[in-house]
Amino acid sequence: MSPASSANDASGSTSLGGPDDGAPPTSGPQHGRVHFQQQLQELETNALGGLDLIVEQLDRVLEALDHQDVELAQMVIADDDRVDGRYLEVHQGILSLLALQAPVAGDLRLVAALLHMIKHIERMGDQCVNIAKLIPLSGHEPPVRQEVLQALSKMGAHARSEVVQSKAAFAGRDVGLAEDLVRQDREINRLNREIFRMALDIGGDDADTREWAMHMILVARALERIGDNAVDIGEQVAFVVTGLFREFSDSSHPAGVRPDAAPDASRETF
Amino acid sequence: MSARETPGDLLTRFDVSPARRRKDKIARGGILAATILALIPLVLIVYYLLRKGLSSWSVSFFTTDPTGNTFFGGSNIGGIKSAILGTIEMVALASAIAVPIGIGVAVWLVEYGRSSWFANTVRFFVDVLTGVPSIIFGLFIYIVLIVGTGSSYAGYKGSLALSLLMLPVVIRSAEVILRLIPGALRESALALGAPRWRVIFSIVLPTALPGMVTGVLLAIARAAGETAPLLFTAAYTHQTNFNLGGFMNSLPVQIYNDVTSPTTAVVNRAWGAALTLVVMILLLNLIARLIARRSRLA
Amino acid sequence: MTSDGSTLRTADVEPDDLLESGQARSPEPRPARPPATAPAASSATATKPGLSVRLEGLRAFYGESEQVKGVDLDFRANEVTAIIGPSGCGKSTMVRCINRMHEEIPGARAEGRVLLDELDVYDSSVDVVAVRRAIGMVFQKPNPFPTMSIFDNVASGLRLSSRGRGDLHGKVEAALRGAGLWDEVSDRLQEPGAGLSGGQQQRLCIARSLAVNPEVILMDEPCSALDPIATLKIEELIAELKQSVTIVIVTHNMQQAARVADRTAFMLGGKLVEVGPTQEIFTNPTDPRTEEYVTGKFG
Repeated sequence: MSPASSANDASGSTSLGGPDDGAPPTSGPQHGRVHFQQQLQELETNALGGLDLIVEQLDRVLEALDHQDVELAQMVIADDDRVDGRYLEVHQGILSLLALQAPVAGDLRLVAALLHMIKHIERMGDQCVNIAKLIPLSGHEPPVRQEVLQALSKMGAHARSEVVQSKAAFAGRDVGLAEDLVRQDREINRLNREIFRMALDIGGDDADTREWAMHMILVARALERIGDNAVDIGEQVAFVVTGLFREFSDSSHPAGVRPDAAPDASRETF
Repeated sequence: MSARETPGDLLTRFDVSPARRRKDKIARGGILAATILALIPLVLIVYYLLRKGLSSWSVSFFTTDPTGNTFFGGSNIGGIKSAILGTIEMVALASAIAVPIGIGVAVWLVEYGRSSWFANTVRFFVDVLTGVPSIIFGLFIYIVLIVGTGSSYAGYKGSLALSLLMLPVVIRSAEVILRLIPGALRESALALGAPRWRVIFSIVLPTALPGMVTGVLLAIARAAGETAPLLFTAAYTHQTNFNLGGFMNSLPVQIYNDVTSPTTAVVNRAWGAALTLVVMILLLNLIARLIARRSRLA
Repeated sequence: MTSDGSTLRTADVEPDDLLESGQARSPEPRPARPPATAPAASSATATKPGLSVRLEGLRAFYGESEQVKGVDLDFRANEVTAIIGPSGCGKSTMVRCINRMHEEIPGARAEGRVLLDELDVYDSSVDVVAVRRAIGMVFQKPNPFPTMSIFDNVASGLRLSSRGRGDLHGKVEAALRGAGLWDEVSDRLQEPGAGLSGGQQQRLCIARSLAVNPEVILMDEPCSALDPIATLKIEELIAELKQSVTIVIVTHNMQQAARVADRTAFMLGGKLVEVGPTQEIFTNPTDPRTEEYVTGKFG
């Protein structure tokens, strides 16, 4: 399935486009099973729309964090129902499609990938909720350290751009774009470690400050998890396109990228 | 069906127009008339046969030979025993010749010749032969076997003439039946690892049997009723004769001879013989039909 | 689904997670590759091994028209290989070349080699009748011989071949058992074969083929004239039969190929496009034409 276009909504871009943004490219003549293809397309659009929800949630929770806005945090927590609702909807759609249409080959891989994707979306939603829950814990007048907040803000921006990029990569079946997510994720990991160290360095007698710092570590952790989930979605892109599943490793890890296993010698094409 | 149609509209759409009804009636009437017209001679024949022939039937009619004493009124003219037996003998021999050969040719045409030019030529000539008047066959045998060899009439020569008559009919009907056998049957048998001849003998022919029997019986019925070929080949005699090498009586010839006699009793005997012949053929047809009904293919 | 009061789910925490979180992943299992197909029934348990068939440069003609245009294909012993493809792609023709039934059609001929375990069945010294005994065939429409009883139908192969007729009863019973029909007909062996239901008739035809002890059985859309339950019974039968014979099945029904076959070959326009383990063909085919066909975009 070669991508007809590679929608480049990478970091920085604010527009997420209209309802057609997530439509996958067509692959060759579609004489048969038009109804089924339409259903599959709808399902994908629905699932990718979940990523839009995540970006919304992320934006709001980051703002809440920045301004210590407890009410906004509450809204984020409440709105996680929407993410869960989307999960259920897409899940049901997938089951239905599997039972009624018996997809095979590329269609089957797509369905399997969608199943993984919405799981990751749901997890990302939960991480946003985790962040939101940490905000009131800090109290209404938390002893804020600006450097930590700034680092978190940067992490948030990276996480957001990763989510947006993962959506673009999936919609465009762009494996290159998906692999690029690893690069951004490294940034997040670096910032995570930085925040951890900063928190450690916050000494002093003020128990409130130390407690606040601990919470910020947890926020960083949640943002880092969101980044990981985005990378996982990127891996699904590779699976849909190539039919092979491999982990995009962080190059800082000695394991490196696992080579594709040797193709089955019994398979031949002519 | 649009929702705006009322039940009344629907009725008019499906109603039969009066013009159609009229045409229908006229057509039916015409066909019925033609049928009746065709049946009239048939009914008349049966009626006459029964009326004139039944009176001659008696036990002695069937058990005594014609005596040849036909000129003197009151003398015993005898029955038609030799004619009946003669017909049976000659037709039996003719069948014994024509049926195996005919079926053989049909098998060759369907299984081996198929649509080759040679097979098509054979088919053409077989078709031609079905239309040849029966007297030609008699003449052919007469010229070849009687005049040509200088020998005299004989029962078996009559059988030969009859078999030539039967041959095209047997071939035709057997070929039709063999064609009706689904190719899938032959395929399955071949796929089991059977040589072709085995497939024909063990699978195709047994399956075709009921249909072919029908065809054969019809050929026999036709042969039994032919006079012309026998006139030149088997001639005529009074006695019951089991020697096919000599003259042989037969029903058609008997009738032929008797019908022109001035003696009324003899003419009546002719009618009786005709009735007998018709009944014999009727019986054969009934048997053919019974077998056909039991077969799965015909 | 929503996180509860605690901010971290224990499943998320792994020992090195907090620091080296670049490696942190949700703990779902991650196979590097989809698991390989389970191998065919091991020949160690086969009661009698089937033979492999190999096509080399097979071409088939109807007069001047070439329907099979040079096919090289392996059918492995004791495996079920399915041939799929759109109508008119030559799959039935190709299969009929294997047991040399193709040449029975007037004007038809085949070129190339068909190797039954290294013996070329098209070799001039080979008896075509013997080939057909070793390579049996089951057709699309069940066609038991109409004049014969059930017993005679099954025995017909043995009788027609005039070889190995000993213990006819034993062989007929074994064949009927092999076709999964014995229990249903053992008490009415003398009844006409045509009196059975469609599914039973087809199993009768399978028994008939089995009776002559072939090494390979070719099936040309064996279930397309049958109802779903009869179809399933025959598919189960195929799964058992492959322990003793090699099976090649032509089918229009891709789901059937997916259920029944170890390997699947896709043909298009008289040529072989792709062949491979069934699981691969239906989850990740290599050729885009295969992908389009199996996903129903044409055909």
